[in-house]
Amino acid sequence: MKNTLVDATNVKKDFRTGKVVVNALRGLDLTIHEGDFLSIVGPSGSGKTTLLNLIGALDVATSGTVKVFGEDLSTLSRRKRADLRLKSLGFVFQAYNLVPVLTARENVEFVLELQGVGSERCETAQSVLEDLSLGELADRRPNELSGGQQQRVAVARAVASRPRLVLADEPTANLDSKNAEALLEMMRHLRDEHSMTFVFSTHDPLVVSYASRVVTLHDGTVVSDEMKNSVADDGKTEGIG
Amino acid sequence: MKISLTTKFAVRTLGRSKRRTLLSVIGVGIGCAVALFLSAFMRGANEMRVQGIADSGFGHLRIAPGGWEKSRENALRLQDGRAELETVRAMEGVKVAAPHARSTALLAFGTRVAGVELLGVDPPAEQAISRVARAMSEGRYLNPGHKGMTVIGSTIAERLEVELDDDLFLTVVREGGEMEYAMLRIVGIVNTGSRDLDATICHVTLEDVQQFTGLNGAGEITITLDTARKVEQTASYLRTVIPEGDDVLTWKEVRPAQGADSKSDQAFMNLFVGIVVVVVMLGITSAQLTAILERRREFAVLMALGMKGIQVIRLVLVEAAALGILGATAGLLLAMPLVYYTATTGINFSAIIGEGTSMSGVLFDPVMYSDMGLWMIPRALFVALISTLIAALYPAWYAVKIDPTSALSLREA
Repeated sequence: MKNTLVDATNVKKDFRTGKVVVNALRGLDLTIHEGDFLSIVGPSGSGKTTLLNLIGALDVATSGTVKVFGEDLSTLSRRKRADLRLKSLGFVFQAYNLVPVLTARENVEFVLELQGVGSERCETAQSVLEDLSLGELADRRPNELSGGQQQRVAVARAVASRPRLVLADEPTANLDSKNAEALLEMMRHLRDEHSMTFVFSTHDPLVVSYASRVVTLHDGTVVSDEMKNSVADDGKTEGIG
Repeated sequence: MKISLTTKFAVRTLGRSKRRTLLSVIGVGIGCAVALFLSAFMRGANEMRVQGIADSGFGHLRIAPGGWEKSRENALRLQDGRAELETVRAMEGVKVAAPHARSTALLAFGTRVAGVELLGVDPPAEQAISRVARAMSEGRYLNPGHKGMTVIGSTIAERLEVELDDDLFLTVVREGGEMEYAMLRIVGIVNTGSRDLDATICHVTLEDVQQFTGLNGAGEITITLDTARKVEQTASYLRTVIPEGDDVLTWKEVRPAQGADSKSDQAFMNLFVGIVVVVVMLGITSAQLTAILERRREFAVLMALGMKGIQVIRLVLVEAAALGILGATAGLLLAMPLVYYTATTGINFSAIIGEGTSMSGVLFDPVMYSDMGLWMIPRALFVALISTLIAALYPAWYAVKIDPTSALSLREA
C-alpha cells in the first residue's frame, strides 16, 4: 500500500471578480500517492492550475480540505505554508522562471540557501546538476541556455532539496518534442531513483503518454482518474539527454 | 568570506536596468552631495564661529566666580585667581590663559563723553589670546606694569576726537559706591574693522582696574585651547581642579546668544538636509516600486519556492543598500570638488557683510571655509543608506504582498 501524500476532499475554490463569482473547483476529490507520475489534464478553465495552487500550498480552498503529507493546509499560517513549500515541495514552471542574474548552479544553490543549508550548498548544487547531466552548464546564466536546458535547470532547482512531491505546471509547453522528451525522462529517472512524486498540469499528449496516472478535470471536478502504463515503462524511449 | 547568494542576487539585479540604476545613483548622489556640502559648510562655519568667539577675547573656556553666569556682575572676583591661572597655564592642551577684570566706566575728553567697559588685562597674555589686542592701527599695545595707560577702539577715538598721547578723564564707581577719578593716556588705537566693536574697546592693565575699583584679583580667566573639539573634556577636568566657589563655563555659556545661534543653525541645516533626503527618498521609492512591479512574477516564483516574507524584505533592502553605497560614492565624488574649493579658498561674504563684522562683541571673518575631512565618508554612507533603506521599505512591503499563485500561470501576478 503506497503512502498518501495528498488528500483533497470536497474541495471548492471560488474567485470573485467584481460581482461575478467564478467556481474554479466544485467539490473536487483527489488522492495522490507516493511514486505517482500523475498528469492532470482538461480544457482551459477546468481548474488544473487552481488545483496545483492548492496542492502546492500557494492558496487555500474556499471549502473542503486539502491535506498534504497529512497536514490540513487551511490550518497553516502563511509562514508555515512557505516552510512546507521550501522543505517538502518542488515547483517547475511553464516559463522556467530561473533567476536571470544567477548562474545555473547559483539558481539551484539559492533554494538551498533559503533552506538554511550551510557552506556545503555549492557542492550539493553542483552534484545535483551533474546527476542530471547539467554539470557543464553550471556557470552559465539563463540567457546563455536554451529553453530545454533552462527547464532542466529548473527541474534541478525543484529537486535539489529532494522534495517528496514535485508540481509541474505545463513543463513542456515551451519545449520542442525532443527537449520535452528529455525532460520527462529526467523526471522519470528522479522518481525511480529518489522516490519522488510528480504531478503535472498539462495539455501535452507527450506528458500524458509518460504519466502512470491521468486525472481529467472538467468544470472543476474530476471526471476520470485512470491508471495506465507509461511510455517509459514500456521502454520505448531512451535515457536522459 | 563567502558572499551570500541573496547579496549577489541583489547586487547583480542593479545591473539589470543599468539606466534606472544610474539615474537612481545620480539621484542619491546629488542628495548626498547637497547634504555633505551643507554639513561641511555648517561645520566650517561653526568652527569659525567658535574660533571667532575665542579670538575676540572670550576664549573657549572661562573660569568665572560662582554666580557670574546668572548675574553677569563685574564686581565678582575669583577665589584665588593667581593660583588658578598657574594651574591652567600648566595644563596640556591649553594654548593661552589670560586674566581679566572688568568695570563699567565713563571716558571724557573736553566736553565729549563715552561710556565703556573697562577691561583690565595682562598685556602679553591679552595679545596672545585676542585678535582685538593685535589689531593696532596706531601706537602700541599696553606694557606690563605701566599704569595710567590705555588702548581704545577707533570709534571711541573718533567720538571723543582724541589721538595718541591725549589724556582721557576716567570715572569709575568703586566697590563702596564712591566715585574714583583718574587720567589715562592713550598709547594705542585699535581698528578691528568693525565700528560697533571699536566703540567698546578700552583696555588698561589689570593692576589699574584693581586700583580704580578697589577690588583685588582677577574677575575671570579666559582660556583658549589647542583645539575647540576638547572644550567639554577640558571643562570637565578643570572643574575638578579649581577651588570650590568658582565655575568653569564653556563659550556657549559665556556667549549664550552665539550658543543658541549655533544650535539653531544646526537645526536649520538638519531640516534642510532632511528635506533633501525626503525628496531623494521619494524618488528612490518610485524607482524601486517600478522595479518591483516589473519583477512581480519573479517575486511570485521566489515565494512559490518557499522564500519567506522576511527573506523577500531582506533581498529588497540589500538591493537598496547596494544602491545606497553607490549613491554615497557618487555623493562623495560630486561633493568633494566643491567642499575642497570652499575649504581652501573659502566663500567671501565681505560684499554682503563688509570686511569685518561683529555681533555682541565677537569679531567674525567675512571669508567662510568648509570643513573637509574623513568624517565625510561615514556621513555620506549614513545619509545615502538611511535614505535608500527607508525608501525601499514600501516597495519591500509591496513585494511581500505579491500573490505567489501567479507563479504557476502566465497571467499577471
